[in-house]
Amino acid sequence: MSNRKWQIADGEPINHPGVRCPVCRLKVFIPSLTFPFLATLAVAAHAAGDAERGRVIFAVAAGCGCHTPADGPVAAGGGKVATPFGTFYGPNITPDAETGIGRWSDDEIRAAIRDGLAPGKGAEAPPMPYYYYAGMSDEDVNDLIAYLRSLPAVRRQNRPAEGELPLARLAYRAWRFLFVRHETPPATAPRAEEARGRYLVDHVSLCVDCHTPRDRLGVPERSMYLAGVAHGPAGEVVPNITPHATGIGDWDTEDIYNVLTTGMLPNFDNVQGSMADVVNGHGGGPGLKDAPQSDRRAIAAYLKTVPPIDKAVEDK
Amino acid sequence: MRKIRIAVPLLVMLCGFATIAYTKTDELPAGPIRDRHELMEGIGKNAKIIGDALKAGNTTPVAGAAAKIQADAGKIAALFPPGSTHPKSRAKAEIWQEWPKFESNTKQLQVNADALAAAAKDGGDVRAAAHNLFDACKSCHDQFRMPEKKKA
Repeated sequence: MSNRKWQIADGEPINHPGVRCPVCRLKVFIPSLTFPFLATLAVAAHAAGDAERGRVIFAVAAGCGCHTPADGPVAAGGGKVATPFGTFYGPNITPDAETGIGRWSDDEIRAAIRDGLAPGKGAEAPPMPYYYYAGMSDEDVNDLIAYLRSLPAVRRQNRPAEGELPLARLAYRAWRFLFVRHETPPATAPRAEEARGRYLVDHVSLCVDCHTPRDRLGVPERSMYLAGVAHGPAGEVVPNITPHATGIGDWDTEDIYNVLTTGMLPNFDNVQGSMADVVNGHGGGPGLKDAPQSDRRAIAAYLKTVPPIDKAVEDK
Repeated sequence: MRKIRIAVPLLVMLCGFATIAYTKTDELPAGPIRDRHELMEGIGKNAKIIGDALKAGNTTPVAGAAAKIQADAGKIAALFPPGSTHPKSRAKAEIWQEWPKFESNTKQLQVNADALAAAAKDGGDVRAAAHNLFDACKSCHDQFRMPEKKKA
């Protein structure tokens, strides 16, 4: 069997290496003997970030919406994420020393965002998409950290998860061990339009997170990249955004750009619910509409290039 | 399943109707609930014509499509009689709790559609008028329509 490294967040749908369980038919990645997580804490990642650029990253990342309650304050925790494995509430990521990340070092925040390791907890639950953020560049994650540190500190206790699995932390560690593999992230993000679009979709805006279905163990189904989910966050239908007739096949890049900017669909309808929050921002914070125009265009350009997938979401 | 996979792309091609609509008309009960869903889809179809026309830089089709929207907008309120709710309907209870506001929204849609038609005929600012039309659609949706959720 191949020991080739791969990322969940790779932009190409792939038949990843691994062994298929003869009982459950799920594919399990057999990790190499090396331990590449430490590579993501490389010296290059230690540079101080720029909070103003970090605000842009935060906006492109749809305002880290899982960490913001509906009425704000921004990043104060409480965003609800219901999954088959429990209901989770995004923690407080403001710089409050007692209830937020005020006492965390930059390395610890980086590890939480990109490696799925939280101080005092160990492996994070998979609703935190660290396996996608794993590909966020050193520069972008440092800028994001600088921005998070610039937010007003909010004293707000984290709400514990509900209905978790037994021995949950062990389960999350096992999930991480079996299904997640990190490549060393880039020092800086791509600038060319389509490459940047792919980078944003897979590692910052995380369109891939909501729009790609998962299997019974919560592992993203790479073969259905961006093909939509019938029961997405908050029970909402999440569309197929591949260029197929069952998706957005007859949209042009201007249509996609308009959705990301104003929430307007080609027939003058508008997105609502979670996608509206992505565009407008959560709890009064910045959203995709506040991101650079070039980033929204990059996402639009990239989405026209992904493999079209035949999936009428309402049938699932 | 097979029929749906054929019907959906066929419908999209026939109507040039690039929206992502998940509630199928036949899932709704006959009567005002189904009728208003079809009416809204018709409005969307004409809005798509307007959007495509603007992208093509050809405002010729705009006036006709806007006039149809204006006519359909006048029919909306009557299709929301009290009690016309259904598990697959996205209509919020606020429609009937705040009826004057809802009704005002439908009138605003008529006004904005009329203004768009006039702009297209008289060489006015068609883009601005189209934007106002979208704003009217969005405003009412945000106030009185639920997000799309998969119903059991």
